[in-house]
Amino acid sequence: MSSEADESVTFSLTVDGAAHEVTAPWSESLLTVLRERLGVRGPKTGCAHGRCGACAVRVAFEPDRADDDGHVLCSCLLPAATAAGCSVRTIASIGGPDGELSDVQEAFLAEGAVQCGICTAGFVTAATELLDTDPDPTREQIEAALYGNLCRCTGYGRIVAAVETAARTRREATP
Amino acid sequence: MLLAAPRFALPETVGEALSALAERPDAVVVAGGTEVMPDLLWRVRTAAGFVSLRRVGALRGTSRDGDELVVGAGTPVAALVDAEAGALAAAARSLGTPLVRTEATIGGNVVSALPYRNMLPALLALDARLELTSDTGRRTVAFDGFTTAPGVTRLGEGELLTAVRLPTRPCFSDYVKIGRRNAQYVATVSAAVVSRNGAVRLAFGNAGPVPLRSDAVDVVATALLDGRAGPDDLRAAVADAVDPPEDTVASAAYRRHALGVLATRLVVRAQVDAGLGS
Repeated sequence: MSSEADESVTFSLTVDGAAHEVTAPWSESLLTVLRERLGVRGPKTGCAHGRCGACAVRVAFEPDRADDDGHVLCSCLLPAATAAGCSVRTIASIGGPDGELSDVQEAFLAEGAVQCGICTAGFVTAATELLDTDPDPTREQIEAALYGNLCRCTGYGRIVAAVETAARTRREATP
Repeated sequence: MLLAAPRFALPETVGEALSALAERPDAVVVAGGTEVMPDLLWRVRTAAGFVSLRRVGALRGTSRDGDELVVGAGTPVAALVDAEAGALAAAARSLGTPLVRTEATIGGNVVSALPYRNMLPALLALDARLELTSDTGRRTVAFDGFTTAPGVTRLGEGELLTAVRLPTRPCFSDYVKIGRRNAQYVATVSAAVVSRNGAVRLAFGNAGPVPLRSDAVDVVATALLDGRAGPDDLRAAVADAVDPPEDTVASAAYRRHALGVLATRLVVRAQVDAGLGS
């Protein structure tokens, strides 16, 4: 039998701006590390195999590079230790430091795009990345960008409408 | 090396990755993690450790080498959705979800070697070559024949798939798959076509234990392209050539039929592209 030390790996991880030193089994997912070891509960455990997007977070693998703004991925599929030294942003990084909602979050509320809420953090994370890269997406582009996020309550009409509203708000706010 | 533990290594170069693997011969080489992590969760696979290729920069990205496109094995599938080769782009676009495609890699798709994997028929139709690197050097082999059984390849011990090479000679190419629903589905069967200078090359996924193509099929497909044969001829040739699995998703007979339909559909698209059809 191997010792417990053999089974674990220790690495640094920045989550929502806070630096952490993590010791975890070598195969543990980023989602488990976030929720169970660091108490970061924004990303949700849904399917745990990359289908539902409830665990979506934004990871910058080269946070020191100015052009690495990170990309959204399923944290359940990423072995946490492969993100050693990286910067992870969860839903807690979206919006203001004192809990102000972002334009995307405001739009989800205004359009009634939230019901039970388990999918919401993932949807907002994916929609925010979309609008950061394309401020004026078509309906088809919104649907394509949210293809990896499942909602079992609302249907998708209100969610797509919320992203359209957020896009419009953002365009009007930036002349 | 960014991180090294008895059962985990996070190398930054191919050389470091090869050393890490030599020191941990029982470890699983993991690229995106999109296959390995669910496998471990569902206990359909055991692993004695990970050698992660996630941070090996040299394996990521595409470049041109003469008349070949060189795709680093660690290139995420998301980077291929707008590839010039239509088959490559279509196969990439239909893999998983956007969130999965940012992590899933072309190399992982090839080495996992399951018959329903998206990229495989596209790579076979495009006549891809694979660059394999080990401590003793580098060799290039045809993708055709690389897979020997479901999940089994000719990758040697201590060897890494480092790049996929694709001819860039102009062609029409496309990929199509069908499954049990319209979103996030695994291919029940799939097919890819390359049409170049009037000759058609077809390849099929889940049509047998390994990615499959056949000279006999291509002769009939080429005849269909220029009107010397009909769709029934191609469907019959495909039915003869394939050896599809029978499982809970579909019967072998259904797959045999569907593969003929996909083959015909792809040749018609090639005809339209060539201005031969309508």
